[in-house]
Amino acid sequence: MFLRILKKDLKRKKTMNVILLLFVILATMFAASSMNNMITIYGGIDYFFDKAGMADYVFIIENSNGDAAQKAEDVLTDSESVTGVNRENIVFINSNNLKDEDGNKYCDFEGIGIITGVSDAKLNYYDRNDEIITEIPEGHFYAGGEFRTSSDVHIGDTIILELKGTTLELTLDGYIKDALLGTPLMGNPRLLMSDNDVSKLLANDDIRNKHDGAIFYVSSDDVKALQRDTIGLSGVVFGFDVSTLRLTYMIEMLTAGLMMVVSICLILISFTMLSFTIKFTMTEDFREIGVMKAVGIKNRPIRGLYLIKYLCISVVGAVIGYILAIPFGKLLLKNASESMLLGNDDQVLIGILSAVGVVLVILGFCYFCTRRIKKMSPIDAVRNGETGERYNRRSILRLTKSKLGSNAFMAANDVASKPGQYVSMTVTFVACLILITMLANAANTLMSDKLLYLIGTTESDVYYDSTDLIMDAMGSDDEDAFENIMTDIEKTLADNGMPGKVHAELQFSLPVEFGDERMTVLMQQSKATHASDYVYYEGTAPEYPNEVAFTPQILDSLGAEIGDTVIIEIGGEKNEYIITASFVAMNQLGRLGRLHEDVPTIDNEAGSAFAFQIDFDDDPSDKVIAERIEKLKEIFGSDKVYTGAEYVDVCTNSASALSSVKDLVLVIALVISALITILMERSFISKETTEIALMKAIGFKTRSICAQHTLRFAIVLLISSVIASLLCIPVTKLVCDRIFAVMGAVAGIDYDIRPVEVFVVYPLILAAVVIPAAFLTSLYMRTINSESMGNIE
Amino acid sequence: MSNIIEVKDLCKTYVVNKKQNNVLRNVSFSIAEGEMVAVMGPSGSGKSTLLYTVSGMDKMTAGEVSFDGKKLSSLSANDMADIRLDEMGFIFQQMYMMKNLTILDNIILPAVKSNKSNESRKQIEKRGRALMNKLGIEETADNDINEVSGGQLQRACICRSMINKPKVIFADEPTGALNRTASDEVMDEIVKLNQEGATIMLVTHDVKVAAKCTRVMYIVDGNIKGEHVLGKIGNNNELRGRERDLSNWLMEMGW
Repeated sequence: MFLRILKKDLKRKKTMNVILLLFVILATMFAASSMNNMITIYGGIDYFFDKAGMADYVFIIENSNGDAAQKAEDVLTDSESVTGVNRENIVFINSNNLKDEDGNKYCDFEGIGIITGVSDAKLNYYDRNDEIITEIPEGHFYAGGEFRTSSDVHIGDTIILELKGTTLELTLDGYIKDALLGTPLMGNPRLLMSDNDVSKLLANDDIRNKHDGAIFYVSSDDVKALQRDTIGLSGVVFGFDVSTLRLTYMIEMLTAGLMMVVSICLILISFTMLSFTIKFTMTEDFREIGVMKAVGIKNRPIRGLYLIKYLCISVVGAVIGYILAIPFGKLLLKNASESMLLGNDDQVLIGILSAVGVVLVILGFCYFCTRRIKKMSPIDAVRNGETGERYNRRSILRLTKSKLGSNAFMAANDVASKPGQYVSMTVTFVACLILITMLANAANTLMSDKLLYLIGTTESDVYYDSTDLIMDAMGSDDEDAFENIMTDIEKTLADNGMPGKVHAELQFSLPVEFGDERMTVLMQQSKATHASDYVYYEGTAPEYPNEVAFTPQILDSLGAEIGDTVIIEIGGEKNEYIITASFVAMNQLGRLGRLHEDVPTIDNEAGSAFAFQIDFDDDPSDKVIAERIEKLKEIFGSDKVYTGAEYVDVCTNSASALSSVKDLVLVIALVISALITILMERSFISKETTEIALMKAIGFKTRSICAQHTLRFAIVLLISSVIASLLCIPVTKLVCDRIFAVMGAVAGIDYDIRPVEVFVVYPLILAAVVIPAAFLTSLYMRTINSESMGNIE
Repeated sequence: MSNIIEVKDLCKTYVVNKKQNNVLRNVSFSIAEGEMVAVMGPSGSGKSTLLYTVSGMDKMTAGEVSFDGKKLSSLSANDMADIRLDEMGFIFQQMYMMKNLTILDNIILPAVKSNKSNESRKQIEKRGRALMNKLGIEETADNDINEVSGGQLQRACICRSMINKPKVIFADEPTGALNRTASDEVMDEIVKLNQEGATIMLVTHDVKVAAKCTRVMYIVDGNIKGEHVLGKIGNNNELRGRERDLSNWLMEMGW
């Protein structure tokens, strides 16, 4: 008997049951994929490092005419703090060594490229399918780092590698997920190729003597002791422990972290939708429940009937949702997983648990909703769910007092009279809008000059990034070489009618001692600015030459605090410096110090320098600056002439990543909003068949009723936009401050909020999807005719 | 009096489970302005289908219906909606109303929607209240639809059907869901409307209701088997005689 009722119910209320099924599928898909992603992201780097076989400490040693690598191996082998060493022989190249088939530079990268033979690899390198690369045919290679993000590089490209007279023709087979050098932040792309090709390169004496080196993957149970033991190593271009290496993935983790926020929102949306659908369908059933009670069926069997019905639907939905969760989860993590191996070993179990969780939640909702069955009397069969004692006032607005047209009034009154019906939709739209605007705020901030202080520099009109000029100065014996270059640039500016001052931030690798701790720290200095021009997190800016500031990471490594005195060796002379402040920085993984401008350093002893900063004398407008930048690009023959905002983007290399996450989230949000709009409107049509037929019978045109229904969505969207606008800034601060803190901005960020984009453009984009979706779905009511009035239950 | 409704060879066929069901078979009749015509017949004879097809709510399979000189088959859905809004009024057996509107708002909704007159919202409200007053339900104006009795609700439906001063009111068993007292009250109002000039076509099973009409058509198996002209009702004293007369005729028809 009950099975027959159940079977009939599933058939008769096909539309609502299908809608419920679709929501269960969505909820399971979101929950299963999001739970998996959250666990994957939480342990993301550990998982990747573990699978890749990453060591506790990594050194990259450049031989350059010596035997630095061999000496380093000896030191490491003898060190008591070392429990194991793996050596990977490498060849160094730069971007000029790679040409396309026409002889043009193939791919622009700033740092040194590293070539590794596949058999000599001491890490596991993964391809795009997350398979370990074990073999590469001769004449082929895989690439990582900036190759993956460069728009000029495509799989299948043939390139010419020219190094010291040796030429190799190589075809790009794919990109590698490289735990050490995989992130563009490292700036050292790796080329993984066949052993024969590497042997061909090393057969050249010039390459073997001047371009070879080694990467040491060191296992240690005492990293601090290891650092002390290796202070004297020569040729070290890179030496970091695993905790610092993790920071190189901050952009990927930022992306993944944002996807975690997206996942949480999706779970929230899915359960809100479930709650709505179950309550909605249960309300529809009140009359039947009343009838069943009237004919003497007891509460328990009635409740059992509904529980079984929802169990059937939710189990089918959960199975389908679980299957769909796998590709959807991958889509969510696509951006983050391009350079990282992401995953967890319990994906299947978590997916199943999430699906079971959704089923239990549905049954819980159903159990909760059917509690009312006990209280309902057979009179509910007549009163459609409301007895005389439980009448709820429905009409909120008054047509007689309203100045709205009939369509607008009906839409507004419907939303005002049954707000509960629109809560889930409002939650969805608000969540979607906040996600999009939050990401837009973060991306815009990363592309603005508000983060200049985080890359350790000050505001200027133009930034001219020239590695060649800086390398010339660094490699020169002339102490004034750097100053001369800046004078030349100033002269060029004056000659072209845009006089200005030029300066640059220099970086010196200097030994710093505090107590027993001794380490080399990259110290920044600009003689054209004051130390007090920079932003400090704690303490006060260095005011005298014997004062210094460090990042919290360096203070932590030294075990020092503000007020302590450190010894810094400059030009062979050791002097004491008082630490007066700490500052945050995103560059050099936050391991920096700042010297007072009057500290006597020698420019050409600097290890590196930032871009040349140009400040025009005539304080030009942004428009004039933009014009001058174009002119300077021609004069310098370089595209690397930037505004402050562009320079931040170039330095952080994260705005583009964030923008692509934003675009992905925007697409997901639009698809979800459209889907939910379609399902909600279809639910409304199903529930309001009588009213639609009545309106048609009394002379409302279909287009008029469609307009009413569409207007409801427009009203909900408007309300959602207002709520999202109010929450946008606080939520951005709440979520993004934590994400930027990982990148070094522990003191919070002054976000670049673009009101038109955030408060107008994105709501309009959402409206451009939701309103047509609502309208097109509402056209279904064309199938409801006025004659339905005669045979509606 | 000219004919406001002319029906010629009207056919309506439903196909259910691939089986053809001819509900109306070449029905022809006309209704003159100011008439009050009852359609009677056994269950399933096609009474309601005839009402909905003649009023343009349902599509005809064949034949022709003219409403105030306009052929319904040549009208678009939008034109038909305009006619339903401005020139027709409907009263259903179930008291269907918009759940989120008050009684008064439900009544004036067609007038607000209509472009027939340039009345202000205030004037429409005044007219709605006047109609409610006339039908004795003014005190329910600000009530929700679930706060009033069935009889009050049906009278509100009558007010709604009248708000745009239609040429014809179609009523499908308007007292079918009411008790006798409420039924009498509602029918009295419908008769009054007719006496004030409205043309009415109604479907009923109730001899007492039909006896108040000027003409009764008896339909069996989709055909009009016969017509009985009662003429305008003078006073309630005539009612018993009209009922007896009608009953006798219905007996002849096979009622």
